[in-house]
Amino acid sequence: MSVGTGSLVTVTATINGETRTFTVPGHRTLLDALRSELGLTGTKSSCTEGECGACTVMLDGHAVNSCLVLAAEVDGHEVVTIEGLSVDGGTDLQQAFLEHGAVQCGFCIPGQVMSAEYLLSHNPDPSVEEIRDALSGNLCRCASYNRIVEAVRQTAEKRVSTRG
Amino acid sequence: MVTYYKAHAVADALEVLGRKDVDARALLGGTDLLVGLDDRLDSAPGVVVDLKGLADETPLAVEDSGVRIGLTVTMADLVANPTVAAWYPALVQAAGVVGSVAIRNRATVVGNICNASPASDTAPALLVHGANVRIASADGERVVPISEFFVAPRVTTCGRGELVTAVELPRPVPGTGSAFQRLTRRWGVDLATVSVAAAVHGDGRIQLGLGAVAPTPLLVDLPAGTDLADRAVLDPVLDEALAVATPISDIRAAADYRTAMVRELAARALQAALDSTRRTQA
Amino acid sequence: MGDALRSQEVGTLRPDGNVGTRTKRYGGLERASGAQKYVADLEFPEALQVAIVTIPVGCADILGVDTAEAEAMPGVVGVLTAADLPSPMPRFGVSHKDRPVMADGRVNFYGEPVAAVAALTQEQADAAARVVKVDYRELPGVYTLDAALAPGAHLVQDPSDPTKRAGDALRETNVIEEQTIAWGDLAEQEAKAALVVEDSYSYPMMTQFPIEPLAVIAEPTDVGGLTLYTPVQHPYLMQRIVAGLVGKTLGQVHVIAPDPGGGFGGKQIPKYEPLMAFLALKLGRTVRLTLNLAETTTAIRRAGATVHARTGFTSEGDIVFHHVRIDYQIGAYADVAPRVMTKGSYVGGGPYRLPACLIEARAVLTNTPVSTAMRGYGAPQISWATESQITDGARRLGLDPARVRLRNLVENGEEFVKGEFAGKADGEWKQAVEKAMELAGWDDPLPPNRGRGIAVGIKSSATSGLSQSLVRLLYDGSAIVYAGTSDMGQGARTIWAQTVADELGVPLEKVTVISGDTDLVPFDLQTSASRSTVFMGTAVLRACRDVRRQVREMYAERVGVEPGELDDEPGAVLTAEGAVALDEAARIGLGALRGEVLGQGTCRLEGRKGHPLGGDASFYEFNCSISEVELDAGTGQFVITRHVSVSDVGTELNPIQVTAQEEGGAIMGIGQADMEQLVFDEHGRLLNPSAIDYRVPTYKDVPLELFTSAVENHDGPGPYGSKGMSEGPILCTGAALGAAVTAAAGVKITDLPLTAERIWRATRAAAEGAIA
Repeated sequence: MSVGTGSLVTVTATINGETRTFTVPGHRTLLDALRSELGLTGTKSSCTEGECGACTVMLDGHAVNSCLVLAAEVDGHEVVTIEGLSVDGGTDLQQAFLEHGAVQCGFCIPGQVMSAEYLLSHNPDPSVEEIRDALSGNLCRCASYNRIVEAVRQTAEKRVSTRG
Repeated sequence: MVTYYKAHAVADALEVLGRKDVDARALLGGTDLLVGLDDRLDSAPGVVVDLKGLADETPLAVEDSGVRIGLTVTMADLVANPTVAAWYPALVQAAGVVGSVAIRNRATVVGNICNASPASDTAPALLVHGANVRIASADGERVVPISEFFVAPRVTTCGRGELVTAVELPRPVPGTGSAFQRLTRRWGVDLATVSVAAAVHGDGRIQLGLGAVAPTPLLVDLPAGTDLADRAVLDPVLDEALAVATPISDIRAAADYRTAMVRELAARALQAALDSTRRTQA
Repeated sequence: MGDALRSQEVGTLRPDGNVGTRTKRYGGLERASGAQKYVADLEFPEALQVAIVTIPVGCADILGVDTAEAEAMPGVVGVLTAADLPSPMPRFGVSHKDRPVMADGRVNFYGEPVAAVAALTQEQADAAARVVKVDYRELPGVYTLDAALAPGAHLVQDPSDPTKRAGDALRETNVIEEQTIAWGDLAEQEAKAALVVEDSYSYPMMTQFPIEPLAVIAEPTDVGGLTLYTPVQHPYLMQRIVAGLVGKTLGQVHVIAPDPGGGFGGKQIPKYEPLMAFLALKLGRTVRLTLNLAETTTAIRRAGATVHARTGFTSEGDIVFHHVRIDYQIGAYADVAPRVMTKGSYVGGGPYRLPACLIEARAVLTNTPVSTAMRGYGAPQISWATESQITDGARRLGLDPARVRLRNLVENGEEFVKGEFAGKADGEWKQAVEKAMELAGWDDPLPPNRGRGIAVGIKSSATSGLSQSLVRLLYDGSAIVYAGTSDMGQGARTIWAQTVADELGVPLEKVTVISGDTDLVPFDLQTSASRSTVFMGTAVLRACRDVRRQVREMYAERVGVEPGELDDEPGAVLTAEGAVALDEAARIGLGALRGEVLGQGTCRLEGRKGHPLGGDASFYEFNCSISEVELDAGTGQFVITRHVSVSDVGTELNPIQVTAQEEGGAIMGIGQADMEQLVFDEHGRLLNPSAIDYRVPTYKDVPLELFTSAVENHDGPGPYGSKGMSEGPILCTGAALGAAVTAAAGVKITDLPLTAERIWRATRAAAEGAIA
């Protein structure tokens, strides 16, 4: 085997539904690659140690802290960022955030939205306690916590009733 | 600079991890390894060996005799498995509070024990569940009881050129109950200030696993048949058994508080373990 | 003066208007979808990345800085050290120009920059910064209040330096400023007291912890100027300070301040911007510094404090005197901390009718990171002590602590600070207490292990200020408002949009709000002290009315009537024939050449010389908080089962934003009461900069039930009778929560934070004391 002669890695991954290829140093995190190499600045950088949740993205359908994933690790995998979730005029969840006053300074909100969508993807009708549990890795210093919980509850109710 | 290397088989990973000319680190979930990676690998040519694509790796295997937790099994995988939940309540309770949802989607059980933090959440539970650690090397495999696995903070018996490939849990004897308790500084995501796992085994053995009160997680045996419901009996037994705890004072708590709390949590964990026995029987 | 702040023109809410409704946040969708550009999101492909060089102690003489190896590292373009800066070292500040651009021969706090490295990539800059060799000799720095105030203590600032503290009687001490406020005769009143409560309290150092870390981009312009991109709350102060340091005109220094991702006071005063300005000018290149959260925690903090208080009560619960001494632990340089001390201690007697009071306050320099403004300013520190005293007095007299407060609270218009610079209540404060008691179920019995506590808080808002606004009504009926308030999460842009929409009759979606750019937007003094709704809100209101006046006059001229025959109201010109929509009247008035109507509004409040606050408060924030906890006696942990926060806001301009700010302030206050503290070691090193060990509340730390409410009497000086809000809910949270814990645990806690360990220790000591 060979450990490789250079430290650069070429990564091909599905990012927000598109196949993207980029080359990064081996230690470059997914967070930095998304923001610098791919121009996807909706994913925010704050603690860079997996404590704040601002950099949450979906990797193969699972919420992860992109600061604790190497860009090289996503070769052959699928990543969805906040840009990949968003539609013109906002998703129902994003609109619910606005209706309930959940967006204040806004810096943590893309991460909150990703974690909430991940929760709803496997638990379509979560209780308030389950929402608090599921989102407790996403810090909000404006402390919009109760606003966000209301928004997630309302979205869950609407989605469940629409799907019948 | 760090080189990323994706190993394709156990033997391949072992070869790179055993090389003396590089500072090679095994990468599983990365939730510990990637924090401050640049700083730690600054002085050596670093290689990060990604173990998530090993062709000869078996993930979570449930058999009649017990459960085998392969090296890529995440906390989330573990918690979602109904057999694991039924057989190993303490482990599932512990795995369920490791970090946040996003952390548990990446962090692995094997990674958690190999990181060998004295405050590891899963270690006390694995201790009372009687886990064995399977370690591979170029010379073959060896199996170490987890009670002998931890050597010092961040140090295990798994040496250079070796790789933990699985944690194996024997199926509990009927009538076994277990539970996990921990103390944190806040109610959301936190590291343990003190943690305790308790198992009341169907064969009468009573064990405690202790976290964050010594350089390594500790396993403590209480006298078989101790009447856990009677505090007058239990308290002196705990006093004697928990004397092995030698906590330090740090930013999270003072030593005397940890000493008092390990006793408090031990009593609670034992009660909860006993309750889970009764639930199983009912 | 025509632009003075006064309350007779505040206007009334339109029943069909936007003001007073739950209007969605301006820019909210961009934030929720990731499209909002914060400073770190701006693209500067050619920018050099910067790493700051520091040393691992809090106080040391710098003997030498060797950058040779770093400069030879791959990708390194330049290194800035003190030797590159003018001599004497340029210094900056607000009240005291004492902070050097970088360490000036001596490091005075942990994290003070010694050098800065600029390289092509961040990795290269970080690697080079690690090989800059700093030769230093550690000094016996003072890291605690006790150490700083001890006889013969190391002096943080050199008393012999004529540029600093010259002629200051306190120069041979670490006290940078002090203030005494006194009225009445303490001894005479003490004779009337049936009970005197005396205790000492402490309030730890904390950090603002905005999730958006600090970031600066400095870009030299083609014409010898400089553009700074920074998430600053006060762009115009930044412009003035940096222009002064680098010797440029205000016009040459262009500050672009994208909306901050949270500020909480921590992004008011320059930190790294002066250094970055010098670095950009030295290299002639764009330079970029992006910190992470831990580095930000090291750079900004709130002052800690120790307090000693004596308070006298009659047996009926009248407070007859209050004597409080407070020392604020500020950092190595003044920043705004002397004002934190003066404003905080001014309200040290609380909102009570006190026959005698003595407040003695000091701001004390220590070799710790520079403290700055934070939500609540200096009030939470002193409120922790004063309110805990009231609770203790009530408990020991066997009286209800809520009713003791109601009994002593001042009425609207009554003085709570007496003397030449009196402070008077400007609201119906008892209503907030009564509402909070009702929401909390104050008189309902509690199960065992539960406890309930109440506290009240006040804070003076701005005592001087100047805000200017422009409003353009465009030909197509859309409008643009220019307002220099920084929207850091409080929702200022939304309020301006609502105001303009209502005053001009423009649909909300046709209003654009421009802020955060000193080249485009007229002057605003600062975004602080919950002033913006009142000050900038009034300026925006006046600019809208200026637009309406101009439209009315233009329209009158076009249709050939005397302007005096017409009138205007929100959204319309009133004629004898009826109302003409403002946009239609504007089009008629503007005529064939089209164009636009440009309105201007200014709001000004001058200070008052000699006043301890620098002037009379434009309004007070008043809050009543009630906490209810369930204690786990075995571990000392508690769950907040219910928390109530009620503030006097005058008028809710946007009820959902009020709720969000009120809840957010309460939760932040709870975190600062039960878990937050910065801890330094004996070398002055910060032990817990990272989010792993500096704990802030998560979703699971929110009270099980959180009720907030507002008192609305439309009696504020701001638009539509509003007052500022957002700081209210943090003022007395510590004392309310502390009282609840005391009630549940049966022991009084005098030090924050209320950690499980601290409660366990206090209950155990009490139990041992009872046995002994």
